[in-house]
Amino acid sequence: MIISTPNALCFGDEFPASGAPCLAHVEGHGLTMTFLPDADACGRRSESVPFSELTVSAGGLDHDQLVATWAGATGQRTLYLKNPDLIRAFRQAAPDRLTIPLERAAEQVRQVRQRRRIVWMLVGGTLLASVLGLWFGSDLLVELAVDRIPVEWEQKLGESAYHDFLARQEVMKEGPAVAAVTEMTHRMTDTIAGNPYTFDITVVKSDVVNAFALPGGYIVVFTGLMKKAENSEEVAGVLAHELNHVLQRHGLERIVKQLGFVAVVSIVLGNQQGLGGVMKQLGIELMTLKFGRAQETEADLTGLQLLHRAKIDPNGMITFFQRLAEKDDGRVEWFSTHPMSSARAERLNAELTDLPKQTSEPFTFDWTNVRASLGAQAGGSP
Amino acid sequence: MKSEILYPGAFPMVRVELAEGEHIKAESGAMVACSPTIDIESKMEGGFLGALSRKFLTGEKFFFQTLRASRGAGEVLLAPTVPGEIVVLDLDGVSEYMVQKDGFLAGADGVAIDSQMQSMSRGLLSGEGFFILKMSGKGMLLLNSFGAVHKIELKPGQEYIVDNSHLVAWSTTTTYNIEKATSGWVASFTSGEGFVCRFRGPGLVFIQSRNPGGFGAWVRQFIPVTE
Ligand SMILES: [Zn+2]
Repeated sequence: MIISTPNALCFGDEFPASGAPCLAHVEGHGLTMTFLPDADACGRRSESVPFSELTVSAGGLDHDQLVATWAGATGQRTLYLKNPDLIRAFRQAAPDRLTIPLERAAEQVRQVRQRRRIVWMLVGGTLLASVLGLWFGSDLLVELAVDRIPVEWEQKLGESAYHDFLARQEVMKEGPAVAAVTEMTHRMTDTIAGNPYTFDITVVKSDVVNAFALPGGYIVVFTGLMKKAENSEEVAGVLAHELNHVLQRHGLERIVKQLGFVAVVSIVLGNQQGLGGVMKQLGIELMTLKFGRAQETEADLTGLQLLHRAKIDPNGMITFFQRLAEKDDGRVEWFSTHPMSSARAERLNAELTDLPKQTSEPFTFDWTNVRASLGAQAGGSP
Repeated sequence: MKSEILYPGAFPMVRVELAEGEHIKAESGAMVACSPTIDIESKMEGGFLGALSRKFLTGEKFFFQTLRASRGAGEVLLAPTVPGEIVVLDLDGVSEYMVQKDGFLAGADGVAIDSQMQSMSRGLLSGEGFFILKMSGKGMLLLNSFGAVHKIELKPGQEYIVDNSHLVAWSTTTTYNIEKATSGWVASFTSGEGFVCRFRGPGLVFIQSRNPGGFGAWVRQFIPVTE
């Protein structure tokens, strides 16, 4: 008795669900299956089926197996062949009625494989381009990636960092300073058409001279910064700048740039969940997020335009920046992330002269009272 | 080569008896104990690139260990990392199985292990990653699961729906489509779950009674968060 390795699996009612291994042969008139002897059977059993009784299709996980079905003596039989030589022999011997649909199926398999190869090549190419692009700092790719992140994601991200931060600060809940900051913000945000952000502004009691924005519209202003301002337009200038970091999605751009590869891949592949996890870990790093020079310039210029649209005197922004920079005794934290340079002032002044002249509208509050409520000495900064 | 599963249930171990000269490939780290006649070799199945692609693309360990009875007959004790059952399959040279990356425990030398690239959609949605292992050849194959293993037997044309995170192994005579269980793609993406595989027979599908990802999430809630 010759023991051969089986080359086909036969399925039928009396066989196990995994199929009975058998040795299939293609003969002139049809197929012959020889079942290998198993423990309880006494010997080899054979079954033959003529081509005329077969129905043939392509099947299996990759649709690359030949599936022949017929009505056997003991019920429906299904035979799975995957050996290429056997399939070739079948195609040569079987009548056209069987081989034509098989050729069609084989063609389809080839097309699917081809398509799969193309998809992988495209994805591979995209990934490679993303890596190279990010490697060389392509802002376009970063922007493309950022565009795909919904505002709600950005808000979730900023929100957790915002609450983490505020939990450790003395927050000013009400009073003239809060009212003033709220009014200034509303004056500006009311002029933004189609603004997707609901800005949340908190005044923190601290002598730190700073203000910052988190992705999603969370803005923190320290009372230290407000005390240094001689008029409300100066604070509005800083707010306008910070609001634009949010509106231009600078935080997100930075994160995507820092996370680079992982982030872009996750976004491109639609796995925003994974990205969310990474971003959450970064939450605390958002506080120390330093924007790039191009982003600062953009925030300056769009901030100036925002002030202008809101009919707030933009000169306050420029004078405040300049005055604080001159007097900087190392305690103005805002300048550690926003270094004042003559180029920066020049850019702002140039932009200001380009804007059409208009009469500014005053705020409803009195800045002297606001500052007094914060405990600042009247008449100039201390 | 003979094998016997010791302590069947949640914490099994398998004893494999090797005749002199026989060897078995095991997932690195699976070896618990062995006779002094057994030599342990680390071997990169499928060459360096194959091993590298498995490492990076399936997260599978870089090396399989080869346990060889080179100095006389002996036995090895193997156990998986996670609590769960061990199944023994006897490959007959024609049956082939796809195995998700954590499902492989050990295989006789006649068993060929192949990393296979899936289609983009299967890779993305099935939760098995872009590469899965294809087991073919002849000999004993040991699979392990997280929780108990349940075997689903499918007749030709019979269908069954399985949550993708519970899949362990399936015959290549089956086909499957990935479907979303919940309504709405957004919900499926954000919950990370909700994808199921609709299998169609004939063939076998082995599933595990516990979901590793779900268990991980359950454990995480007890881990104190430090800042
Ligand atoms: Zn800035």
